[in-house]
Amino acid sequence: MSSNFWLLLVPVPTLAAFMTLAFGPFWLGPSQVRAVALAGAWLTAALMLAASGVCASGTCHLLAPVFTVKVGTASVALALILDPLATVVGTTVAIVGGFVISYSLGYMARARLADLRRFFAYMNLFLGAMLTMVMAGDSINFFLGWEMMGLCSFFLIGYNMSLPRAFAAGRKAFVITRFGDVLLLAGLLLLFYEAGGVRIDALVNAALVMPPGRRSVVAVLLLGGALAKSAQLPFHTWLPVAMAGPTPVSALLHSATMVAAGAFLLARFAPLFAATPEVLAAVAMVGAFSSCFGALVAVFQTDVKRMLAYSSISQIGFMIISIGVGAPQVAIAHFVIHAIFKSLLFLSAGDMAYAAGGRTDIAALAGSSTRRPIAYFSFAAGAASLAGLPLITAGWWSKEAILASAVSAGPLGEILWSLALIAVALTATYATRAVLVGAGPSTLLARPPAVPPAGIATNAPLVLLAAASLAGGLLVGPIVRFLGAAEPDTPAFSAIVGAAAVLLGVSAAFALRRHPHLASRIARARKVRQGFRIDAVYQQRFVRPFRHLAYWLNGVRRGGRSSGIVDPLGAVPVLGIVWLVRRMIHWAAVDRVDRVWMRLAGMVPELSSFSRRSQTGRVRDYALSLIFGIAALLLLALKSPRLPWH
Amino acid sequence: MSAMVAIVAGGLAVVAALLAVTSSDAVRSLFALLAALLTLAAAFFALGADFAGALQILIYAGAVAAVFVFVVMTITNSDALRAAEHSRLRRVWPVPAAVAILIVLMVLPALRGAKSSAAVGAAIPVRAVGALLFGPWAVVVELASFLLLAAMLGARHLGRRAPSPPPNEPLQGRDGPS
Amino acid sequence: MTDQSLAMLLVLATTLFAVGLFGVLVRRGVLLQLIALEVLLAGPALAFIAAGARRGDAQGQAMFVILLVFAAAEVAIGLALYLRLRRCADVSDSDSVSQLRS
Repeated sequence: MSSNFWLLLVPVPTLAAFMTLAFGPFWLGPSQVRAVALAGAWLTAALMLAASGVCASGTCHLLAPVFTVKVGTASVALALILDPLATVVGTTVAIVGGFVISYSLGYMARARLADLRRFFAYMNLFLGAMLTMVMAGDSINFFLGWEMMGLCSFFLIGYNMSLPRAFAAGRKAFVITRFGDVLLLAGLLLLFYEAGGVRIDALVNAALVMPPGRRSVVAVLLLGGALAKSAQLPFHTWLPVAMAGPTPVSALLHSATMVAAGAFLLARFAPLFAATPEVLAAVAMVGAFSSCFGALVAVFQTDVKRMLAYSSISQIGFMIISIGVGAPQVAIAHFVIHAIFKSLLFLSAGDMAYAAGGRTDIAALAGSSTRRPIAYFSFAAGAASLAGLPLITAGWWSKEAILASAVSAGPLGEILWSLALIAVALTATYATRAVLVGAGPSTLLARPPAVPPAGIATNAPLVLLAAASLAGGLLVGPIVRFLGAAEPDTPAFSAIVGAAAVLLGVSAAFALRRHPHLASRIARARKVRQGFRIDAVYQQRFVRPFRHLAYWLNGVRRGGRSSGIVDPLGAVPVLGIVWLVRRMIHWAAVDRVDRVWMRLAGMVPELSSFSRRSQTGRVRDYALSLIFGIAALLLLALKSPRLPWH
Repeated sequence: MSAMVAIVAGGLAVVAALLAVTSSDAVRSLFALLAALLTLAAAFFALGADFAGALQILIYAGAVAAVFVFVVMTITNSDALRAAEHSRLRRVWPVPAAVAILIVLMVLPALRGAKSSAAVGAAIPVRAVGALLFGPWAVVVELASFLLLAAMLGARHLGRRAPSPPPNEPLQGRDGPS
Repeated sequence: MTDQSLAMLLVLATTLFAVGLFGVLVRRGVLLQLIALEVLLAGPALAFIAAGARRGDAQGQAMFVILLVFAAAEVAIGLALYLRLRRCADVSDSDSVSQLRS
């Protein structure tokens, strides 16, 4: 038991809450379930805050070993660590998680007890898994947390089990992130093979001494895993459909925490990426394209949750840009700010949608300023931060830091900077548009049923998050310095151009409001709204052939029923072996001796049918055979010398 | 005893037998059979076997052939039947004739070297035959009586009236002695 | 009686047998086959009598008696069969009576 054993206790409350709710006693009532969930989340948040206090006070590279296994010449030493990166990300995750769980107490008020338990169990498990991943000091804990997050995402997206859309969305999310996980695992295993150990610092050190080609391969593999988890191009198709899950799930997983795990991965392995400049450039380009793509498609959305999903793609693209230019600390700062305002946006949008009768399209938000003022104004605060209104919102400070780091990063940085500016403008457009729709009078044809005003459990997180999203700009500088980098100096022209881009976007939103025909053209652009149909291409190129392959391997004819268990890689060896054995049997079954015996045996019926022909039934033929017998007897009698009369 | 007479009678019997076998008419065949049997009886008498000759005439020609006559009386012989039988005979006679000649030829060499004790010429009295039949051969006689009993029962059973009309009625009107 | 005459008589007997055999093989009509059977039986009869006369033995005639019994039995059964057969088959062609049925 090392001196840092208390570090291992940080994820424990959430995991204990999960165990209680999942496997615990069945006689827990709804209020008790909620209490357990809330305690799990906030106890962990308290422990995390304590850990961050320890870290802030100086000694901030703590290691808490879990256990060590010797495998041949390699030693697998599991451990949790606490360093500035883990502190910042972990605290954010814990606090946002606490807020979201508090909000869901009210949101899930009318759920059945079994569903309630399920929901809070998975939410707590997710928090525990994410904290494990954040504080992981070795690749095994890291991957464990990573996978558990993906699993919880699957269960939580498909929470509403009666909705096939939700299950399909969960499956899609799981499969795509799993694909990325395979790449990540491959990269981690290559590093383990090189390093002979699993500690992350050991892996990074081993990567730095690897030959450059292999290092690039490992970097690309890790990048693939990060991109899939963070829903960047080309693996972004799962995030918009994942909005089929409940709003708290979207708020916690798919805006603030899980989707940023990819950026966290890249930040963790930053020294490795720093040693592969070409991969780093690719990272930055991917981030830039994702941010532009996400922002553009978000403008054309009609559903507020989908808009926020594409917005997440775009914002994480920003983080990836700054990682790509070599400033991961700025990316983490933006991560913190983004977590605050994106979760706020989801929570408030969920509240407003609930007040509008459960509809989540943007047009239904109209009239929310009077129906749900607290939710609406916190939504407005979050949207302002998202848009990055100059100086008064936290989003402005973090985005400026990103733009500054991009512009000062050489010629490639200039291209990135301009692409990021386009994305900033578009972000401001769609954010403002949503706010303006909500400010207008209610356009709903029928009055939605009156719902009770939201309780303190719902409103308190909204207000707190709104305050943080406005005042959080003060945190950006300290975070960056805390993480060990110098605050990027912002060239004046970059700041001015950035502000101009934001204001341009805002005014574009006002113009859209005033010119309805433009708005209707936007509404009719279905192809853009569907993300340029990239998902359909994937469906055609990958999903359908794979399904056909799975059916073929399982021996299911078209439209037939399968056993439900699909195991293509397991079926291929079996089919191969069966074929091989059949060939061998066919070759060996040509038994020569057996053939001879079979022919002999086959002669018997032939002989029998031949000899049956002597049974004619005719008297004369029988007489003839009698004669032959007589002749034989005569011969015997007349030639034999023993007979007496000879 | 005259062996020569016996041989001549035997030859006549053979001729008559040939006629019996080769005529396509049942009545003529039967008459030829009778002739053969009677000439054989003559041969027996010539050989000094009086009892055998008498039996031949009484039983063989008298009873057995008479039964044949009864049966032949009941047949309706038509020209078509005779022609059919004749044509069949003409078609198939070579192979059986060869077989028959072969059998005769097989026996011939065995007869060449036959020699025995002194020639005997006297006739064999009937008393000797009776003494033999009722003496050492009594069991054989009993067996023969079994045979006759079986034959009688068999003939009685086979010759009974049909219990029900046979299933294939159309066959009754076909050609053929019916 | 000399050996030569015995031999001649035996040849005649064999010829009778062969003629009867020929008749059984050749004739198609059942009645005619029966008649040929009679001829066939006459052959051994002559042989027995001739041999018995040559040796002066009564066994030849006794054997003839047995043979006579045998012939009588055979004629009885044969003709009864013939009459029975005539009711349901074409007895002018014994080849047609080759099936057990009907």
